[in-house]
Amino acid sequence: MEERPIKESARPEIVVVIDDEYPIRLSCEKILTKMGLRAETFEDGACGLDGVARLKPDMVIVDLKMPGISGMEVIGRVHEIDPLIVIIVVTGYATIDTAVEAMKCGGYDFLPKPFSPDELRLIVNRGLERRRLALEAARHELEQTMLKRRFVTFVSHQLRTPLVAIHQYLDVLRNLDETGDTEARRREWLDRCLARIEELQDLIKDWLTLARVEGGTLFKERIRIDLNCLVADILETYEQTAAAAQVSLEAHLPDNHLLVAGDRSCLSVLFDNLITNAIKYNKPGGKVTVSGSESRGEVVIAVADTGIGIAEKYRPFLFEEFFRVKEDGAGKTGGTGLGLHICKQIVSEMGGTIEVASEAGAGSTFTVRMAAWHDPEAEAGSKSDERQEANIDCG
Amino acid sequence: MNDKKRILIVDDDPDFREAVAYFLEANGFVVFQALDGAEGVRLARLEKPDLILMDIMMTERTEGFFTIHEIRLQPELKNVPIFVLSSLCTHLPDFEIPLSGGWLAHDMFFAKPVDTAQLLAKIRQRVGEAA
Repeated sequence: MEERPIKESARPEIVVVIDDEYPIRLSCEKILTKMGLRAETFEDGACGLDGVARLKPDMVIVDLKMPGISGMEVIGRVHEIDPLIVIIVVTGYATIDTAVEAMKCGGYDFLPKPFSPDELRLIVNRGLERRRLALEAARHELEQTMLKRRFVTFVSHQLRTPLVAIHQYLDVLRNLDETGDTEARRREWLDRCLARIEELQDLIKDWLTLARVEGGTLFKERIRIDLNCLVADILETYEQTAAAAQVSLEAHLPDNHLLVAGDRSCLSVLFDNLITNAIKYNKPGGKVTVSGSESRGEVVIAVADTGIGIAEKYRPFLFEEFFRVKEDGAGKTGGTGLGLHICKQIVSEMGGTIEVASEAGAGSTFTVRMAAWHDPEAEAGSKSDERQEANIDCG
Repeated sequence: MNDKKRILIVDDDPDFREAVAYFLEANGFVVFQALDGAEGVRLARLEKPDLILMDIMMTERTEGFFTIHEIRLQPELKNVPIFVLSSLCTHLPDFEIPLSGGWLAHDMFFAKPVDTAQLLAKIRQRVGEAA
């Protein structure tokens, strides 16, 4: 696909006028210039086509009946140069037949002679609007194509990297002579191969989760979810992991349980990702604190760690897919680069927001805001709605 | 000891570096490891290796290309053989490196994962026996 340079808004749009009658050229030029456009006029098809090739105009106004190359032929040749140029056909012997034929050849609109300045302005404005829309669409399509290509390259690289490492270990082990030293390596390398296989599995899992979130299939339902229970469950799951990392877990949630409307599995993925990150990017002796509050119909949950923090320059990119902080400390921690992107997608899908505050070296706090559960029946608890989640016995 | 051939490996994957480095050391080479382009250039200037093994997609997508360029700018490193080791050789939409090596033709290109026996043979061909 040919790359179109992005037009600067300062550049006036160019209109080429091809007509063998001098008065027509002159009046068109006057009117178009007054409209803030750059008008270039030519007296026959051959000169006009040269001009079009050189000027790359946005619009061509062409007389159908001229000596030399006919207007009909000019239309086709102009579109060979750039199919997005809008062509207005002008003629003195207006008939339905010639108009129809010109449209068939690729003309955008038709202007019978004689025409008033207002008629010209109207038709030119309409044509240029169409041109802008067409350019915008082409640019958008190009961007999408580029994004897709980069994504495919990147994902295949991400998927291949762990496989390459595993393959390389096995290849070297096969090619090495047996020695005592090799035996010790063999054990260590097998463990590393297993770790890389886990990395690959995490990547595939996260990628699938992302595809589901983006495809909307992960949001099965919007039911009442008790965040106190959900967070307590997640913290319990990670007790051992946190202990192994010498990180303590704390929850400061109000006695009045925080309730939101959402999908249980989505909310689990969201807080699971935030809490595991807070453990992973912490320091020995550090702390993870999940705190929450509700006011004016909004639930706010903050997951804070006392870890390595995130330098300011990285923060704007934190929620982008496959973004990873390349910094001492963070670089050694494994991860797919998809977790926070997934969080962002889930929160947006729920109409909420997620933001990060951080001090490099001192820790980060991720804050999620979303609408509180609004009970249509004022008295919660007295109704036994099956779609509502039971709200009992949780830490 | 002093006549051992010296090889620099530039790759952001520690496991890949470890496997290849250990294999080359077991075969009598001295190996230096760099985890990115900047470290690669620094070590190349400092250690003046007999041969460099270079990854392409590191922190930046084309980091290896620029690292090679920068190494080549150093007069003392103008002629050091550089073998590119990359998984970019297959027909990805963005990059395609012909197996001949294209503009890297004066050096060699190996697709990852690398056949280590073949890599060793080519290295020996280029820099001579290790010991």
